[in-house]
Parts: sequence; structure tokens; C-alpha cells
Amino acid sequence: MKHVKFALSALLLTLAGCGPSEQAPSQPEQAGSSPFKLSGDVKHVMQWVLDPAADGVWDSAGSIITAAGTRELAPTTDEGWLAVEHSAAVIAASGNLLLMPGRAVDDEGWRNISQGLVEAGLLAQAAAKNQDSDALFDAGGQIYRVCKACHSVYVQGDEASDTL
Amino acid sequence: MSFKKIATIAGLALGSLVSAQSHAHHAFGAEFDANSPLTLRGDVIRIEWVNPHAWFHIEITKADGTKEAWRIEGGTPNTLLRRGINKRSIAIGTEIVVDGYWAKDRTNSANGRNITLANGKKMFMGSSGTGAPEDGADKK
Repeated sequence: MKHVKFALSALLLTLAGCGPSEQAPSQPEQAGSSPFKLSGDVKHVMQWVLDPAADGVWDSAGSIITAAGTRELAPTTDEGWLAVEHSAAVIAASGNLLLMPGRAVDDEGWRNISQGLVEAGLLAQAAAKNQDSDALFDAGGQIYRVCKACHSVYVQGDEASDTL
Repeated sequence: MSFKKIATIAGLALGSLVSAQSHAHHAFGAEFDANSPLTLRGDVIRIEWVNPHAWFHIEITKADGTKEAWRIEGGTPNTLLRRGINKRSIAIGTEIVVDGYWAKDRTNSANGRNITLANGKKMFMGSSGTGAPEDGADKK
């Protein structure tokens, strides 16, 4: 009982010491202005964020077959898997980056594809965390399907020949 | 365009492209020339079963008897699996004939459409919806 009283007293003292200036800042007002500051457009996200991360996943799954035998591309060390997990996490985060105001092209279609990218990235992330090379390979295919679905709808004209 | 002609032109191309992994995830039009169809006959020397595109490397014998390596871009592994091609379907050393389109940069690289085996069996090795010409190869 003595310990309980001590703990309760400590808690009250702690709470009393939390003035307004020490509390978590309130959420910024959303109405009329976006809290986001775009660091680049969609192409920027593709070039500097998503593409390198996708390469990080694609480079780490699959097989190279020659007369000398088959070389599996999956990482063989914990550090290697961690690097793939990192790339996969970036892919998942990229989906949300594409949803930011100023990047989203429309509502439902763009949202579905962006969320699909998040899901595909999370699949790859889980596969890397579990060091599951087959699952990582499948997730790599899923990532590409999302890329292709997006480009088939939103990339047109001259740009269509340069991407995907 | 005849095979001999292709082989001759290929001899002028810069360097061999049997590189380490290849990861082009660009549309057909960014890399390949829809106006330059080609046919290549050679032995498979390397298969890259990777996303986003599988790659089949072959070694052709030119008219003067010298060898030359080419790399052929295929569809995604998932697409190929749906078409009945897996990473063990074509053994290393197998002679194949590839119909496809030459790279715009005129290196020894092509986008593959059909593979024909020595027994006449033909397999579609490309992808649909990537901007490749509507040549009907994927409908067969």
C-alpha cells in the first residue's frame, strides 16, 4: 500500500508540473491551407524516391542462370535484408507522398493506385523482414503491376514513351 | 530485315551488352524502335529471372563465324509464367529464334516478342500494354 501511495503521489506531481507549454502542440489548422510544403512534383518523387527504392527491391530478388549455375539475388546477410526492408519502407511511404495535396491528380483513381503502392511496399517490407525471398519476388511483381496500372492511366503523350 | 543484315549491323554496334543485371523499367518506346523489327538466332547463355522484366541473353554466330552476345528483354516473370514460361523452361545452351525490336541506341539489345524453339514451338515472351507495337504476337 505504501508503494501505491508513493506512485500516486509521483503521478500527481508529474501531472501538476505539466504546464501548457510542455504539452503536445495542437494540430495545425487544416482549413483553408495545407500543412504540407511540397519538396517536388510527382516526377521528383518518382526519380528521387520511388525508382531507387524499387530498384532496391527488384535487385534483391530473382535468379541469374548461366552455364555455371544459378545465382539467387536474395540477400545472404542480415544487413542485406535490412537494406531491402529499408527500400520497401520507402516504397510504402511513397504511396502516401503521392497522395499529398499538390501531387494527387484526381480523387478515387489516384487514391486507389497510391494506396496500392503502399500495400505493395508493405508486402515487400514484410517479406524482407521475414527474409522470405519468394515473397519478396512476388512483392516485386506487385510493385511493378501498380507502376504499370498508374502509368497506363496517368502518363500520356511523349512522357508515356519515357517511363515504365 | 534479314538475320545476316542484322548480324552485320550488330557488328558495328558498340560493345557487348552482356552486363550484370539489367533493370529497365521504361516503356517500350523509351528504349526500342518499333520500326526496326529483327530476328535473331542464337544459343541461350544467360537468363535473368528478375522484376520488372526477365532478360534472355543469347550468343549468335555472325556470317564471318564470330560470336556476338545479345540481350533480349522479355515480359515480367508473372506474365511469362501465365504464358507457360518459367525460369527453367529454356535450358542454357538451347538454340532459339527471337522475333523482336531493336534498341534505339543500336546496341546489342532488343525487346523480344516471340521465341521459337528448334521443334517449332513458339512462345510469346513479351508484355502487353507497355507501348510495344500492336503486332498481334500477344494474341496468339
